[in-house]
Amino acid sequence: MDKTAVLDLSEALNRADGDQDFFVTLATLFLQESSKDAAAVRAALERQDRTGLAAAAHKLKGSVMEMCAPRLFECTKRLEELGQQGKFAEASPVCADVETRLAEVHVALRDVIAGGFPS
Amino acid sequence: MSSHAMPHIGQVPDSSPGIETPAATILLIEDEPVTRTSMAARLTRLGYRVLEAENGCVGLEVARRERPDLLIVDWMMPEMDGLTFCDAIRRDPQLKSSQILLMTAHDAPAQIAEGLVRGADDFLSKSSSKQEIIARVLAGLRTSRLVRKLETTGEELKSSMLLLEKKQAETEADLQTAAAFVQSLLPLPGSPVHGITLAWEYQPSLTLGGDLFDVMTIDADHLGLYILDASGHGVAAALRSASLMTFLRAENMLQLLGSYDPATVLFEANRRFPLSADGDYFTLWVGQLHLPTGSLSYASAGHPGALLSSAEDPSRWLTTASFPLGFDPSARFTCDRVSLKPADRLFLLSDGIYEVPSPSGELWGRDRFRETIDAGKQTSLSATIASCFAAARGWQQAQHFPDDAAVVGIELTDCREDTSNG
Repeated sequence: MDKTAVLDLSEALNRADGDQDFFVTLATLFLQESSKDAAAVRAALERQDRTGLAAAAHKLKGSVMEMCAPRLFECTKRLEELGQQGKFAEASPVCADVETRLAEVHVALRDVIAGGFPS
Repeated sequence: MSSHAMPHIGQVPDSSPGIETPAATILLIEDEPVTRTSMAARLTRLGYRVLEAENGCVGLEVARRERPDLLIVDWMMPEMDGLTFCDAIRRDPQLKSSQILLMTAHDAPAQIAEGLVRGADDFLSKSSSKQEIIARVLAGLRTSRLVRKLETTGEELKSSMLLLEKKQAETEADLQTAAAFVQSLLPLPGSPVHGITLAWEYQPSLTLGGDLFDVMTIDADHLGLYILDASGHGVAAALRSASLMTFLRAENMLQLLGSYDPATVLFEANRRFPLSADGDYFTLWVGQLHLPTGSLSYASAGHPGALLSSAEDPSRWLTTASFPLGFDPSARFTCDRVSLKPADRLFLLSDGIYEVPSPSGELWGRDRFRETIDAGKQTSLSATIASCFAAARGWQQAQHFPDDAAVVGIELTDCREDTSNG
């Protein structure tokens, strides 16, 4: 998997057993849930909640894995580690990265949902 | 996600190879909705019935209600995490044998070990391929089926065991009743007639014994006595013995034979109790004591005999060589006579009292039995008999005898008109 890619659609579709409709369902769910998870990440960071940050980042990481978004995945993984270590200063820019990458993934997913899979 | 489990009924299995149990139910416990939805859909497509729960607490409720075949549990979850869930499952008597696949990103040996210690059966990475998921799920379900089969077999065995125990208790109660009946047939210790003391001790090897005996008044001048031994042990032997015992009743013999002459009694018993189809037979020693004179006539059909313990003379065996009952329908039995004096003791015994092996295999034997009898001349009749049992038990270093063990003793306690006539 190309770790610099926003989305690996081929792999994501493979994880959905090739079912495009089901992938769209998952993507729609991801758009809803990941926004809430990202907000939870940000809130935990702001209150310097070590456990909360690690847990929220872990949850977001799980859903990102399903979407096969490698760059975002690496960011969330790093953020989870920093949360576990309580390194809030280092976590702050990574959290910003997560939000940026998440926005990119959202755009990409919305494109797929709206325009279908590229042939 | 609501706090309720969301069942998804499995579809008809597709053509994917290796799908074994379409009807198997899998409980998927995962807090992250996208992962849960994705995994649930994949399992559903594989033909399983999938139940979903968003954390360990809800999962536990569903597991208790639905008894799924396989539990797939995320490691990290709010409310109750995967490890705590594993703990709870292993503590639950109804669920403790459930198969648990722990979903994790952890792959460090220490973490895997912790998962196993806490109760996980296998691990599944969230990034696993479809093939790996199928393989691990199939392995988990295969184990689940085996465990449940074992549990079912165990339950059936337990149930059969309970039934068997009930039947055994009933049989035991029946045997105790039968044993009490047989015991009631035996003579009462004490003084069956004036001048005679009777004592005995009897320990069947099983609840019911095949060795029986009696000491009975024949008429004003005669005392009849016998000891019989049925081959084999248990109910069948006891029933056959009771039958022979009934035959040997004094009134039956007097009506049938006109006397209790030992040789005649044996002849008739031999005629009426042939060798059974299974080869079962009796040995029998019969005696008749003429009370006025102390003259004892006796005969034996294959029985090891009786021991006469005289106050003055060395004890001696009263035996006659012959076949047991039933071997030869035309057999005649020899009747011997001996004179008993006051204070003499006569012991009827079954071979079970002296054919007891020591731990090294050596039999206690007739000689040691006789020595014990001789050593007890100065003690009471019942004490002498008790010392025989004690010595035999001490020899074999066990309380229970391998064969029925009986010793019956009579002692002449009163002078008769003329004891010198013999």
